[in-house]
Amino acid sequence: MARLWFEGWRRCNSPALLSLLYIVASLLWLGADHLFFLIGLSNVLSSLPSLFKNSIGVMVSGGLLYGLLLAHARKARRARQMHEYVEDRLRGARDEMESRVQERTAELQTINQTLKRQIAARVQVEIALRDSEERFRQLAEHIREVFWVYGIVEERMIYISPAYEEIWGRSVANFHERPFDWLEAVHPDDRSRIQVAHVAKSQSGHLEEEYRIVRPDGAVRWIWDRGFPVRDETGHVYRIAGLAEDITARKLADDQLRRQQAELARTSRLSLAVELASNLAHELNQPLAAIVAYTQACLTLLRQGKTDPREITTTFEEVVNQSLRAGEIIRHLRELVRRHTTVQTVIDLNTVIHAVISYAQLELRQAKLDLKLELAEPLPRVLADDLQIQLVVLYLLRNAIEAMQETDGGPHQLAIQTALLNANVVLVTIRDTGHGFSGEIADRLFQPFFTTKPGGMGLGLSVSRSIIEAQGGQLWATPNPDRGVSFHFTLPTPVTVYPSYSSHELDSDRFSH
Amino acid sequence: MNSTPTVFLIDDDQAIRDAVGLLLRANGLAVESFASADDFLASNAIRWPSCLLLDVRMPGMSGLDLQKHLQARNQRIPIIFITGHGDVPMAIRAMKAGAFDFVEKPFQAEILLNRIREALVFDAHERCRQAQRDEAAARMALLSPREREVLERVAIGQYNKVIAAELGISISTVEIHRKRVMEKLQAESLSDLIRLQALCDGDNPE
Repeated sequence: MARLWFEGWRRCNSPALLSLLYIVASLLWLGADHLFFLIGLSNVLSSLPSLFKNSIGVMVSGGLLYGLLLAHARKARRARQMHEYVEDRLRGARDEMESRVQERTAELQTINQTLKRQIAARVQVEIALRDSEERFRQLAEHIREVFWVYGIVEERMIYISPAYEEIWGRSVANFHERPFDWLEAVHPDDRSRIQVAHVAKSQSGHLEEEYRIVRPDGAVRWIWDRGFPVRDETGHVYRIAGLAEDITARKLADDQLRRQQAELARTSRLSLAVELASNLAHELNQPLAAIVAYTQACLTLLRQGKTDPREITTTFEEVVNQSLRAGEIIRHLRELVRRHTTVQTVIDLNTVIHAVISYAQLELRQAKLDLKLELAEPLPRVLADDLQIQLVVLYLLRNAIEAMQETDGGPHQLAIQTALLNANVVLVTIRDTGHGFSGEIADRLFQPFFTTKPGGMGLGLSVSRSIIEAQGGQLWATPNPDRGVSFHFTLPTPVTVYPSYSSHELDSDRFSH
Repeated sequence: MNSTPTVFLIDDDQAIRDAVGLLLRANGLAVESFASADDFLASNAIRWPSCLLLDVRMPGMSGLDLQKHLQARNQRIPIIFITGHGDVPMAIRAMKAGAFDFVEKPFQAEILLNRIREALVFDAHERCRQAQRDEAAARMALLSPREREVLERVAIGQYNKVIAAELGISISTVEIHRKRVMEKLQAESLSDLIRLQALCDGDNPE
């Protein structure tokens, strides 16, 4: 109720209306006073001046009061207006504040999210980095190859993987004290080359070398070392990363393959010789068969008493012709052998012997014999056809092996000896402990078609002698004092025996192992 | 037809032909020599009994080729191969293809002569059997179809009665046929008849 009134009052807040209210109120108040006086009728007239006087007073005071009230009302209005204005401003400020706070909050939230994302990304990167480091470590520390990083500015190895210890047989820890530890391990024959490559590597960043290293235990290993440049942001090579691989097994396999190929080539040349011998045997069989048939025909006729001298004579003439024909074939063979000696070179007989032993390895092993090499070092070189000398040595070697296989008891010893007989002649002796031979056989040993072997053709020794003699040497046999036989052959050193040979022929040594 | 055993010697080496020819002749054999397989075939000299002394390795048609050639024409003749050194695998092939034997050069006369004689005996025997087969076949050809039917049944031991019933003829007719068969085949007895029948059956139906 009061509020309603107050509101109503507030609504009629015009100052004039308020003042009028006041005046009415005062007049009412005065009028009531005088009304009560008038009712009394006693002193109405007498009281007129005072009434006037009072009325003026009331009016003045009412005016004053009105003025006061008016002023008050104005002030109140202004205050109210002020209040409203301030309120308005405050509200505006609050709203602005609120919106700013909201904006800021949103901003902060965005930043926060970005940060969160960044943090997450960084964590990811860290994990990835850790993973990649782990992977690198696993790779570097578990691969069989040595992984290395070389710092160009530092002029030393920055990293070397643990495989180094296994391959080089040297400690990685040692590396920091002795940065050139790895180079010291390089085989003396390869060291200078690798040193040069190392210097070149520091400039180009590239490296690809094969070299041998010697481990502390003395074992030699083949290394395949490759380096690749690592560049900084400016493209400047500041490090070299590399891999060093142990290729010993591959190298050995390569060597073996090469040896096998060489052996095959030799075998095919030998089988060529075998083919030649087989053809020759067929050729020789013809006159021999004819001789036998003629002779036996004659014998038959003679036994039958049919001794017509003309027929017998003609037949024997044919026998002579056929014998000459056989001789012609042998001569042809000799010629063939002699023609082959045109490829004479300067050869080392010790090397020839080693070569022959290497491809007769299987036979030697199977024969279960004790092979002794008594090779004179150094041995002057001789001038001969290496292939033919190999054939002779191989033949004599096989001959010795076969001779020993035919004897059961007793030690099986095979000795190959080289010696300088005199200034111009080198002597090779092949000594066995086989069955040996009687004096009667000794005379026929080098005759063609003489053989003591069931499957033999009896040509080996005679061909061997032809070969050796064609090269200016000699081949002969002597019985050993205890048991077995020694075959000897000599070959001349080039200078005195072949003084007319030009120097380049002497220099060209096509025999190499 | 000359029935003297003949050795046909084929070798490209004149000395071998000459020497071996002399050796064989000295030992009483008839020899005809040829320098090549083609010469031999061209001469059309084959007659029986004989044997072939053949070099494995020859220019032109080889010994093995000739062997195949003769086999393809059903000209059966024992072949003794002569081989040089290292021809043993070839000799084995020749033996598997039905060669009589092989000898290696240079050969012992006795060994060669023995092998040749064996070959000639073998061939003579073969020729004899062949002649008998031919003769039997010739006589057999004289028989009429009915006589042949009767012979087939007689040979497996059937009685005349059974034969007559099977062929639907009388026993006396069977007896007449039988008699004519015996006459045509010049057989003395039933066993002769059976032997002749077997000879013809064993022959290749050429």
